[in-house]
Amino acid sequence: MNLKDLLSPFYVWQRAFEKPYTSIRPIQERPGAAAYRGFHINISEECIGCGTCHKICQNDAIDMVRVETYEGRSGDSGLRPRFDYGRCCWCALCVDMCPAGSLRMSNEYTWITSDPTEFHFTAGVEHTTWQDNPLGYHRAEGYHLYPPKRIEMEMLPPEVSVQSFDEVVAGYSEPQALLEADRCIECGICVATCPAHMDVPDYIRSIRDRDYEKGLQLMYRTNPFPATCGRICTRRCESVCPVGIQGEAIAIRWLKRFIVDQIQPQDYARILADQTGNSGHRVAIIGAGPGGLSAAYYLRKQGHAVTVFEAQASAGGMLRYGVPSYRLPDADLDKDINYIVSLGVDIRYNTRIGKDIRFEQLLQDFDALFLSTGLSVPSSMRIHGEEHPRVLSGLQVLADVASGRDPGVGQKVAVIGGGNVAMDAARVSRRLGAEVTILYRRRIADMPADTEEIHESQEEGCHIVTQAIPVEIIAASSPQQVSIKWGEAEMVQDPKGGRPRPVLQEDRMHVETYDCIISAIGQGSDLEFLSKEIQDQLAIEWGKFAPGEYQHTSLQKVFVGGDVANRTADAISAIEDGHHAARGIDRFLNPDARTHTDQEVN
Amino acid sequence: MNSVDEILDYAIDQEQQAADFYADLAGRAEKAGMKEILLDFAAEEQSHKQRLLAVKAGDHKLTPEQQVLDLKISDYLVEVGASANISYQDALIVAMKRERAAFQLYSDMAAKVPEGHLKEVLQGLAKEEAKHKLFFESEYDDRVLRDN
Repeated sequence: MNLKDLLSPFYVWQRAFEKPYTSIRPIQERPGAAAYRGFHINISEECIGCGTCHKICQNDAIDMVRVETYEGRSGDSGLRPRFDYGRCCWCALCVDMCPAGSLRMSNEYTWITSDPTEFHFTAGVEHTTWQDNPLGYHRAEGYHLYPPKRIEMEMLPPEVSVQSFDEVVAGYSEPQALLEADRCIECGICVATCPAHMDVPDYIRSIRDRDYEKGLQLMYRTNPFPATCGRICTRRCESVCPVGIQGEAIAIRWLKRFIVDQIQPQDYARILADQTGNSGHRVAIIGAGPGGLSAAYYLRKQGHAVTVFEAQASAGGMLRYGVPSYRLPDADLDKDINYIVSLGVDIRYNTRIGKDIRFEQLLQDFDALFLSTGLSVPSSMRIHGEEHPRVLSGLQVLADVASGRDPGVGQKVAVIGGGNVAMDAARVSRRLGAEVTILYRRRIADMPADTEEIHESQEEGCHIVTQAIPVEIIAASSPQQVSIKWGEAEMVQDPKGGRPRPVLQEDRMHVETYDCIISAIGQGSDLEFLSKEIQDQLAIEWGKFAPGEYQHTSLQKVFVGGDVANRTADAISAIEDGHHAARGIDRFLNPDARTHTDQEVN
Repeated sequence: MNSVDEILDYAIDQEQQAADFYADLAGRAEKAGMKEILLDFAAEEQSHKQRLLAVKAGDHKLTPEQQVLDLKISDYLVEVGASANISYQDALIVAMKRERAAFQLYSDMAAKVPEGHLKEVLQGLAKEEAKHKLFFESEYDDRVLRDN
């Protein structure tokens, strides 16, 4: 070994005192370009946790995690996106797809830490330095990965629709339905909001797959009235559809209708292949409306014998006697009802409990009872002169028309109220040739009627007078006419909050004369069929039953549901009540069964 | 009734009578769920009585200057009987009408006495009754006129 070899390791040390060629980190960080795709920003208040970003991410870089602050909000899953920057490739598909428009990207791109687990974060929830950064990638105004507008539904023009009771809505053709189904982003927010929790994304997918039989099977898992709900559902699902935030919600109701319209009634038994055994138990149902018949359908599938007691001559309840055929043709309602009946449901028509059969007798003869008697008593205005014979009830007018009777509304009609019954009574009167004025005590925005119904009634020529409070009914000079005195109202903010309240302005009164006045201000329950002793044993609040778990009451055998037991009073809620009660009744009748899963009773 | 104490005693007695009226009606109520509702009304009247007792004891002040919203709902409704078969709608009408009558009574009395403490107390009592009337009218607006 020579001397050079011996000293060479020490020569390296001289480098230690030279200027380094590399630096620990840039002293001057270079900012990203103004539209750079950097770390994510999510406006959590605008995000609804639909998970579309999670689904579209090609790198599985986004997880949806539970965030307590947002749990329990209507139309919000309570989840928020959590990003993994070990996986993200910064493609911004998540931003382009976000239906709420809450997600974008900042132009920041450096994040230095010695802890590799820190590169996960929940945007908009965990604190970051870039959350308020206005720069970065934003989806361009008006740019959408899916068409924001729904496929328009063909309808009878109003000047034609008022000439008959023919159905107003034409329904989608197959090409239209396919295009509309393509807009669905399958987030499933609608499933949680639908009272019956229908599997909306999957039955919409069945349209894309053109497998309508599969669609029908999916719908019947939670709703045996798809033909009906495909026409008149209150469609809360659409009110929370994320696509509706920056565009128009998916036409879920019309897509449901499309599926049902593709299938003939004679094919239902083959497609649904429902099995009905014999459990040896007998269940009585009072009321053949959507709640009662929904319960009947699921109870038959559980093998229980079902007898339905119906006071009217036909089944359907308010769907038949309260919804006019231009919205729900009898043939479509019968499509739903006939299939339920075909499973062996025995309906005793024209049988009123409390009059033809005592309730106590049913308690004695059956193993369980389901009460779904609806709201059949029209509310009274309680103003002077209301007993005048030319003051008609909205419910009676609709029932007369449904039964083929002429309600005799005359040529000039005033309708009092702002709910669906009021709108239907008005539109029915238009079809009977009357000139119609609707008097409503609040604003159009406060009307409980479906916005489509309000719009269509106006298009058909019904004149809506808002902030009009009826104060007196007065006899007119002709017994065939009646006058109404009404006053204008000012909307005043309630000091305790809530919606503004109408306050009558006594110096602005009007008197008008009509051929009839149709009162449609709401309806209540008729519980007279129950004795006082029975009523005392049931929890009843504000004229409605207040059931416990599985719609069970404090009376051992008795379950309740539908409008007479819920606050929403719509068909889809009644259908869910019936399904829920069927589960409860099955548990009650078979307490020793190993499990009672939803699948068993579906 | 010439003194403030006499007026307050009268008002307290009226609230007690109202509470007794609803409690009695609750005992006879035939319609499902009405017993509980009428007992709630009786409890509401008892709370009015307690408030007035606090006023008499000097623990609470009436506020005659306070403006109370008048929805005028009860003004145009028909009189209904307080039968055992009373409905919720009619029970509210009875309650609204009673509060309205009390409001008018104190307002009329206040109009007849000269300016002074007694007038202020009567005006304060009228405002109290107006608040009670608003309570029942708001309930009527929310529940009976919900769809209207």
